[in-house]
Amino acid sequence: MGAPLDLVTAASAEGAWTVGEVTRRARAVIEAGLPPLWVRGEIAGFKAWRSGHWYFSLRDKTAQMRCVMFAKQNFRLPSPSDGMQVFVFARPSMYEEKGEFQLTVMELLSTEQGGLWKLAFEKAKAALAKDGLLDPARKRRLPQFPRRIAVVTSPDGAALRDIQAVVGRRWPVAELIVVPAQVQGAKAEASVCSALNRIRRLPVDVLLVARGGGSVEDLWAFNSERVARAVAAMPMPVISAIGHETDVTLCDLVADLRAPTPSAAAEAATPDRIEVLQHCGVLGQRLARALRIASRHVVDRLDRTRDRLVGSMDRRLEQSRALLTAQSARLDALSPLRVLARGYAVARDENGQVLKRVGQLPSGKAFRLRVTDGEVNGRVQ
Amino acid sequence: MAEFSKQLERLEAIVRRLESEDLDLDEALKLFEEGVERLRVAREQLQQAELKVKKVLEIESPS
Repeated sequence: MGAPLDLVTAASAEGAWTVGEVTRRARAVIEAGLPPLWVRGEIAGFKAWRSGHWYFSLRDKTAQMRCVMFAKQNFRLPSPSDGMQVFVFARPSMYEEKGEFQLTVMELLSTEQGGLWKLAFEKAKAALAKDGLLDPARKRRLPQFPRRIAVVTSPDGAALRDIQAVVGRRWPVAELIVVPAQVQGAKAEASVCSALNRIRRLPVDVLLVARGGGSVEDLWAFNSERVARAVAAMPMPVISAIGHETDVTLCDLVADLRAPTPSAAAEAATPDRIEVLQHCGVLGQRLARALRIASRHVVDRLDRTRDRLVGSMDRRLEQSRALLTAQSARLDALSPLRVLARGYAVARDENGQVLKRVGQLPSGKAFRLRVTDGEVNGRVQ
Repeated sequence: MAEFSKQLERLEAIVRRLESEDLDLDEALKLFEEGVERLRVAREQLQQAELKVKKVLEIESPS
């Protein structure tokens, strides 16, 4: 890049170089002579531009230099703050427009325990705690029988497949509302917030925010204070399942329940239909038994009343029968046949008329005489 | 399924009442009938055999 510096020509006014030529030349020299390297120092004058690019100085007791870290390199990182001791892996270069020596930073690590991630996490966590968002008393109870279950996750991730399988097996009674979001990368934070925002207005009983395992950078959107606040502000209970069991994100901390995996989140969100059906069966049995018991005294009373009714009818019949026997005995005693048996006889004329007086029996009158065992003919003499 | 949990709660209350209180037959029968009806509805609601999955697409709302 550029011709070798011609010291002889440059020594005279006629041979002067332009500013652009010198800076371009200087840049070539720096870039050829200083390969990318690790530099340690303290951050000063940190500024993040709307473009996402970061500008800051790196300094120690004796010197400082300008640094730039472009958005495509820093998007995964929480931003550092002034005074922080860091390591950067950077390409030394020349910013020609300003004629400034500059480091183009490709990686930035904090020297503090746990690095930048940890620092940013603790900072956001403290802010959330200050607003009471980590208070265990805020945690809401999950609905027992959710009708609509919303899921914020990647539309083609294993997390969604797992959730769908578990809910389909345990509680197919529900409706699963999937709101896809980017769960990693530069746009993840905004995408998750927008998905949450959309769900706020839906009639949803419980929300799952899920993402499979990944590196600390991959999970970073769920450690963003903005996402955490959006989760905390959801009107329905939220179950969070981000990364593996060992990764605890801010999203997990503000959620009403933290599940170790997406499958576990789905399990926590749903009852088991088989068990609910069994419970219904038991309730049905108890209902029938309770009615039997409740109606028992009425049935007992009915039984007793029937017994008394039948008993009193029986007694009455018995009395009637006795009366009848007595009456028929008396009747029997009065019977004319009994009188005939005692030796009396009855005389009747040919018309059957009973002949009781002498005047009815002139001499020569024929009559029939009824005695106890039959009749005979006779004539008055 | 708010309706479902209400259904079940009412059913449980009916069973408890039938079991614990001394009711006259009319009232007991009325409760029993209501319980049987709620049980039927609850079972019906549990019959949906396949999970409905709905995707809400990105287009709807910028934020």
